[in-house]
Amino acid sequence: MWKLFKNDFLIERTNKKNIIACIAVALFVFGLFFYVKVENSQKLIDEKASEYQSVASALTKFQTADAMDNGNGSDLYYNLLKQQRYVVNQSMSLKIGRPELYLESGIKLAELRASAFDLEGYEKVAANLPTQTENRLDTVLYQFMDKTSLTVSLDTLSFFPFLLNLFMMLGSFWFIFISIFSCGILIGEFRHTSLIKGYPVSFDKYVLAKSTSAMFFVFIFIVEIFICSLPIIYFYGIGNPSYPTAIFDGSFKVITTLQYIGITLVYMIFAAIFAILLSLILNVLLKNMYLTLFVQLLLFIAPSLFPALVSLVPFNPFNYMNFTSLLNGQSLELAKPIGLELIHGLICIGISIVLMLIAVKLFFTTGKLKKV
Amino acid sequence: MRAYFKFEFIQFMFNKKNIAIYVILLFFACFYALKMAPSYDPIEQVDREEIEARFLTREDFLTNLVIDENTYPLTRFAAAIYPEWNEYDKQRLDAIDNNDLKKYAESTYKWYEYSDFMIFRNGRDLLYYNPRYYTAGNLYATEDGHYAYMYSASRFKGYAEGNSDLSMDVFEERTALQTLQRLLHGYLPLILLVSCILFTADIVLKDKRNPTLIKGFPISIWKRLLVKGGIALIGSFLTVVPLSVGFFIIAIQNGFGDLKLPVPIFSYEARAFTMISMGEYLFQNTLLILFWFMLLISLLLLISITIRNEFANLALGLVVVFAEFYYYVRGLGFVKDIQWYPSSYVQVGQIIAGYREYLNNSIELNLTNGLLVMSACTAVCLLITFLISNRRGFKYLR
Repeated sequence: MWKLFKNDFLIERTNKKNIIACIAVALFVFGLFFYVKVENSQKLIDEKASEYQSVASALTKFQTADAMDNGNGSDLYYNLLKQQRYVVNQSMSLKIGRPELYLESGIKLAELRASAFDLEGYEKVAANLPTQTENRLDTVLYQFMDKTSLTVSLDTLSFFPFLLNLFMMLGSFWFIFISIFSCGILIGEFRHTSLIKGYPVSFDKYVLAKSTSAMFFVFIFIVEIFICSLPIIYFYGIGNPSYPTAIFDGSFKVITTLQYIGITLVYMIFAAIFAILLSLILNVLLKNMYLTLFVQLLLFIAPSLFPALVSLVPFNPFNYMNFTSLLNGQSLELAKPIGLELIHGLICIGISIVLMLIAVKLFFTTGKLKKV
Repeated sequence: MRAYFKFEFIQFMFNKKNIAIYVILLFFACFYALKMAPSYDPIEQVDREEIEARFLTREDFLTNLVIDENTYPLTRFAAAIYPEWNEYDKQRLDAIDNNDLKKYAESTYKWYEYSDFMIFRNGRDLLYYNPRYYTAGNLYATEDGHYAYMYSASRFKGYAEGNSDLSMDVFEERTALQTLQRLLHGYLPLILLVSCILFTADIVLKDKRNPTLIKGFPISIWKRLLVKGGIALIGSFLTVVPLSVGFFIIAIQNGFGDLKLPVPIFSYEARAFTMISMGEYLFQNTLLILFWFMLLISLLLLISITIRNEFANLALGLVVVFAEFYYYVRGLGFVKDIQWYPSSYVQVGQIIAGYREYLNNSIELNLTNGLLVMSACTAVCLLITFLISNRRGFKYLR
């Protein structure tokens, strides 16, 4: 097995596809760096300014008469007025550098918003305000920072904040990238059947060695991401690895940047194994690299095309492939909300991987190799 | 050459991958026409209740208002601007009640022009555009509203002055042609360009599978590449066939629209809109997309004979198409010469409509420059391909 793997790796090492994929990963990291750099460094301040506008325009939907004591004073109107004040507080505290005020008003703002969801006529202004999930995420983050007396950081360019940003972006791309990378994994074998049949190992073992070497390259990509980000330490410093991030995992909670990166790494590895095995099976079934790719991508976007599928089939591993939206609790925003949990995702993907491995063991024989 | 063309064309049409692309496009077209188009909910819609609520409140305010020396300045401001505003709202209401679409278009045009002038020039932080622009997290809501109001003003002016058939569907941009216009403004160009990349990715490299057969053809490598490029171009334009199914479904539901309908075009230089007809708009779009196809095909042909790897074709093609996401920041055109990057022209419909000029604060991102950049890049790619393929010792299959 070891010899086989070595043999396979020697072949793959000079494969142009792998070299280009490595270049693409490096390009992605550097490109993202310039993107973050060009993007306004005052992002949080701008966000607060636009938040103010959103609340102000939500207020225009009410008649001023609502605000008077003898009018039919709507609770929501008062609530929004107070929200506006706290948004201004937050914005000012950022400009004058008083992070403790930012947190304080942030907590009050989140509380106000939480109470607004039950008020009459909320659906009228819902689009102008953050969703319930976003608000809950904010709440736990602010509360945690308040408890541990951390301050808000505006830093997006140093090492750890940048990595956090990068892994969040990877959520929607990773599966697509691995699909493109692995979609032709067995196609070459169909063209050299006599060569493969001559190997002194069974076909399933050969296939597994092949996917192991593909996985090896996936690890190289991951290491490459870290290496390409290293220059940032020199320019902008290392940043705070334990800066908190709020996630949804059955309940709303706070984890550190390091933990977030760890979770995404586990998910990336699982998703990569899943995508490679799926490519193998689809290759044998469809005998065409592009059809494999199309089927994989269609399966990947199916939950977003038909959101009803998510709550109908919660154990579908593709619900969990976009780990960023999973961690953001986006499944709670569906018409039929469902709380997808991290560990369930790993179990679902894990079971699918085991099933696919069994399928490879049982059904893959050289007889499947017919020239196309 | 004709025989070779036929040979390649048949191979292209019976390629499993190409058939799959057409089928997927057909699926998306039907999915869009049946599921997404009916739920289109424009911000600027014909909503009698909304107009009436605004009109009655302001009318009430104006009739009850007594102005004396103690009146608050903002109240005076309101008293000064509401009468004319209300006049337009009244005309719009009357037009809806009498079902006089021409009249509605005219008063709506004036309403939008007046509203935009009041909100953008005079009423910053006092008056707001339609609240739906100020969604949570939109950093540029005022700019979006400004553009949309100017756009709507110009559009309704066109309806009032033109002589095409009007209907509520036309006013809300729901007819088939207008849906196409909206899609060209959105992600349709990206879908077309990605399809083109997928069509072209294997058109040269598939010959690796049957080297002996290909070597027998009495045709030079350069001509062979040209034929392949031509077929990829035709194939890319044939994507219109599956997509038109969706078009006809929408046409049956909401009407076809009219090729003479006005399409507002923004010019950054004049900070104002002019109008062209729908037919001209579609023609300009087709032209720019044609140049895009030629650029992508010539680039992929070049990569096919140099790097000789399908994955490289896919990856580099996608990099060209999606590069804009990396450097795009609103207003960047003001400080950087992004008009010389081909990838700045990916959003074909937005380039033609001048929306990119608005977003980038640049007068250079227009059709002429786009065609110039595209054709220059295509020429360079083709030239290098020509030189490489005619070099002595060049092997087509390796």
